[in-house]
Amino acid sequence: MNEKRHVVTRRDFLRAGSCLAVGSMIGLPLLEKNAFAATGTSRVVLIRHDGAVDGGGNARADILSGMLDAAVAALFQVSDASEAWRAIVKPGDTVGIKTNLWGSLPTPPALEDAVKQRVLAAGVSPSRAAVDDRGIRSNPVFEKATALINMRPLRTHHWSGLGTLLKNYIMFVPSPWSYHGNACESLGSIWNKPEIKGKTRLNVLVMLTPQFHGVGPHHFSKTYVWTYGGLIVSVDPVAADATGARIIQAKRNLFFGEERPISPPPRHIEAADVTYGVGHSRPERIELVRLGWDRDLLI
Amino acid sequence: MRLAYLATLCGFLVFMTADTSRADPLRQLTGSLPQRVMGWVVEGQDRFFDDKTIFDYIDGSGEVYRAYNLRGCLSRVYSRDGGPSIVLDVFDMGTPVDAFGVFTHDTDGEAVAVGQDGRWRPGWLNFWKNRYFVSVTVQEENAQAFEAALELGRQVDARIPEEGERPKLLTRLPQGGLQAGTVRFLHHPIVLNYHFYFSDENILELSPATDAVLATYQRATGSARLLLVQYPDAGAARRAAGNTRRHYLPDADADGVARLENGRWASARLKDKLLVLVLEAGSREFAADLMRETAH
Repeated sequence: MNEKRHVVTRRDFLRAGSCLAVGSMIGLPLLEKNAFAATGTSRVVLIRHDGAVDGGGNARADILSGMLDAAVAALFQVSDASEAWRAIVKPGDTVGIKTNLWGSLPTPPALEDAVKQRVLAAGVSPSRAAVDDRGIRSNPVFEKATALINMRPLRTHHWSGLGTLLKNYIMFVPSPWSYHGNACESLGSIWNKPEIKGKTRLNVLVMLTPQFHGVGPHHFSKTYVWTYGGLIVSVDPVAADATGARIIQAKRNLFFGEERPISPPPRHIEAADVTYGVGHSRPERIELVRLGWDRDLLI
Repeated sequence: MRLAYLATLCGFLVFMTADTSRADPLRQLTGSLPQRVMGWVVEGQDRFFDDKTIFDYIDGSGEVYRAYNLRGCLSRVYSRDGGPSIVLDVFDMGTPVDAFGVFTHDTDGEAVAVGQDGRWRPGWLNFWKNRYFVSVTVQEENAQAFEAALELGRQVDARIPEEGERPKLLTRLPQGGLQAGTVRFLHHPIVLNYHFYFSDENILELSPATDAVLATYQRATGSARLLLVQYPDAGAARRAAGNTRRHYLPDADADGVARLENGRWASARLKDKLLVLVLEAGSREFAADLMRETAH
């Protein structure tokens, strides 16, 4: 054991908790270091459509494309989605589109196609745009990326409480398991690595059929997914994840008929704000724009 | 000459393959498992994973099985027209102690009479027996499939002839106020930190050679967590006790008790090769009682 390094124990968190007001969804409180910008807000667009998912649970490509365009236009406050995409990527960019291939609940291929089409339509060369997940560390486009677009479905997760946009970048590091401590609290630190920091232009949290609970070795059962028909879109991954987490928590409480905290608590979301300065996690710092279908919105 | 050599080599390989199959308890068990259960029949080929390839099968929580010294995993799918698939996973943990340990990682659910300590939650049956941890999952709600999953579990249970012994360390837990379903048996710091975040470094020097048990108590004097760690040698135990005093309880008094920042109480004591830690007891009296009952 390293004798020189300060060992962080539970007591450090208890000590910090005695003087730090903390958010509602964490377990052990956080060590405050450098809170994300003390002022300002992050804009998050939540868009829903009651026809986004067909009877088989599959995304409907035409509706999904329309939702994506409406969301980015609202996010960048422009009337035309193509104008928003031209703000997201430039013709000279090399664009890595980080997806998620988890077998039980992957990013819908229709969304991958829609995003890539729009990146190309904004003038990026086809040879300089790629969609990838587990191969990103050896993908030449990702190695040379000047811009990243991050997208994945939201689900509960064995180690981190929630599989989030923040967690989606864990494939950028050579030893993902080294981030599992304390419910993956340090995931936000990945976003500050030089090869990643400042490159993410857009985050899309897929809320078409989110997963609010998990059981068994595979942590999946269709019993615990529901058709929400939504996308959460933001430049700020922390704000998007925090918004999604509130929806998941509300769904759990509704389904189980009692307060049923996400377990383990998704500490990494607030840590990404409070400790790593990646974005805003607190509702008062999030400007939430709601679009479309509003039945059972849960937020 | 060359043909004779090839024939000998082929014979040797066939012998080795057969011998490996005979020697591998998981493959032997697999051969005895049912092909059909209540209309659900085996679909496709069985798949086998080891401690390195388990991540190809189980994303994320594969690490839990590695933390309990996974030897191998069988994955088999049963399907039926018009019904959801049933997935059978049999994990060979090498020893009953580790099969019990991985079972204690998640003990929620309703008790069912399948295997050892069988538990059922809608869509998931799990139990341990001897060196195996068995999981049967149905990925969508379906009453017939749920019944078939339970029946499959019973049949797997029947094909594992002997029960396994629980870890001996469990006998050191005081019984008064011990909360059912809170006992976690473990070797690895990542599992300890999952159930009770302790520290970012392995100050307790947990390893495959150490046995640890974490449990929750509730008595009239309040609640508490108790952690016992059994070391293979006195040196490792002394180092862990020293680390604990230095990094976790530097402010402990002459009795080894410290008041925590949240007002609760903790203490640590080394008894031969057993380290006893009372974590977050509701009162000093309760911390002292648990310590006395455990480290006697």
